[in-house]
Amino acid sequence: MKYNELTRRYFESAACAGMLAGSGILRGAAGSRAQGTWVQFDVRVNSNTRRTIEAVRFLAFACPHVIAVAAWLAEQAVGQELNGQLPQSVQCLSERFGVPVEKLGRLLLVEDAWNAATTAGGGH
Amino acid sequence: MTLPCVYLDYAATTPVDPRVAVRMAECLTQGGVFGNPGATSHDYGEAAGELVEAARAEVAAAVGAEPAEVIWTSGATEANNLAIFGIAHYYRDLGRHIVTVRTEHKAVLDPCRELERRGWRVTYLAPARDGVLDPHEVAAALKPDTVLVSVMHVNNEIGVIQDIAAIAALCAQAGNARLHVDAAQSVGKCALNFAALGIDLLSLSAHKAYGPKGVGALVVSRRRGVQLQPLLYGGGQERALRSGTVATHQVVGMGAAFSLARSAAQYETERIALLQDRLWHGLVSMGGVLRNGDGARAVPHLLNVSFEGVEGESLLAAIRPHVAVSTGSACTSVHQEPSYVLRALGRDERLAESSLRFSLGRFSSEADVDAAVSAVASAVERLRRIGGT
Repeated sequence: MKYNELTRRYFESAACAGMLAGSGILRGAAGSRAQGTWVQFDVRVNSNTRRTIEAVRFLAFACPHVIAVAAWLAEQAVGQELNGQLPQSVQCLSERFGVPVEKLGRLLLVEDAWNAATTAGGGH
Repeated sequence: MTLPCVYLDYAATTPVDPRVAVRMAECLTQGGVFGNPGATSHDYGEAAGELVEAARAEVAAAVGAEPAEVIWTSGATEANNLAIFGIAHYYRDLGRHIVTVRTEHKAVLDPCRELERRGWRVTYLAPARDGVLDPHEVAAALKPDTVLVSVMHVNNEIGVIQDIAAIAALCAQAGNARLHVDAAQSVGKCALNFAALGIDLLSLSAHKAYGPKGVGALVVSRRRGVQLQPLLYGGGQERALRSGTVATHQVVGMGAAFSLARSAAQYETERIALLQDRLWHGLVSMGGVLRNGDGARAVPHLLNVSFEGVEGESLLAAIRPHVAVSTGSACTSVHQEPSYVLRALGRDERLAESSLRFSLGRFSSEADVDAAVSAVASAVERLRRIGGT
């Protein structure tokens, strides 16, 4: 499997991998390890505005494309408003990271995990 | 070209030994033995023919066969095809049943599937979870119309050695069943004696034993009177079983490689066993590492392990810059297919995907092993952390 430069870079760094500690963390996950892809996001929003994303961490049992996309999202989302949507659409992400069309289902799991974290409103 | 990563994929192919390359080069250019070995009307051809026969003797000696039993092919894949189709078609009036094993190489399984499409029946035996086939399974599968049993000697993914002597004895009792053994991974790695084991047909490959790619052999027992229908016609070379001009430089390379393998086998096997022990202890110390196949029944050159809590494609991507190994997956353009061999042993899909096959060879060193362990440990620890496992 060949990966584009962006995928390689974010897969290798995965700088935002991990979990956030403390109260008020939004957490959502999708997929399953048994099925081969599982993604979880932890999102912390500004305690005053409750809208601006201050930090994101992710965990992923997944292929390099999914890890790279999750890592990129975790980085890009900081400073943005919490609106329940990915910073970019799945289609845009697949093009940016050169994800084969047959893997789009895995990116939908990334979207599901993001939505679960940011729209459920549940704290952790 | 610079390839800085450690090469531990000798079961896929080996570099040509420099001593072999020298012998091959002597057969290529105008000053060398470049003649057509079938052109016996002049000295050029005769000299080439002598080298071809010397190589045939070297290959035969390495596997305990008679030189006249060695038929040159383009490799083990062709040898397997010639054995399977050749037996099936020649003995079609005696029966149309074949017995093989689920963990055979695709070069055996695919011809068997093709014969099924043409009307033959094939029984695919399942080995135990340790990869070893119980010979009683073969006995139970033999029918009066069984014309061929095909069982590999050393499995190419897990290194397990099958009990060929016991299986050969069962086939001999069965009457019409000929035993074909794919021994592409055997030469120089473990003892193999064609005549003593009572094998009817033996497939060999040069490039797994420091010879060139593109050449192999099928050893066909004369003592047991085995007959084959050829795959190729035109020229009648190789006892009319494999027509086509014999590639002198290739078979000379194979002969030289097998001669070296024969003389160095004991030393190399002992040295590589120590390296494999070092590799295994390095890997297993990270925890969550499972060995695939029975190590006590396997060649020391090959170690196949699965890593718990790691996704297979990411594992391969993470180690790829540092170490060249094979994975437990067949990588297609878009996704990984878990190894059918490991699945046949009962490994679940995730563990089959997260497996790596390390294969050591003549040029492997302790430094290579240590570098591989370090790279794999680093990748596994990182991916487990990212995966929250």
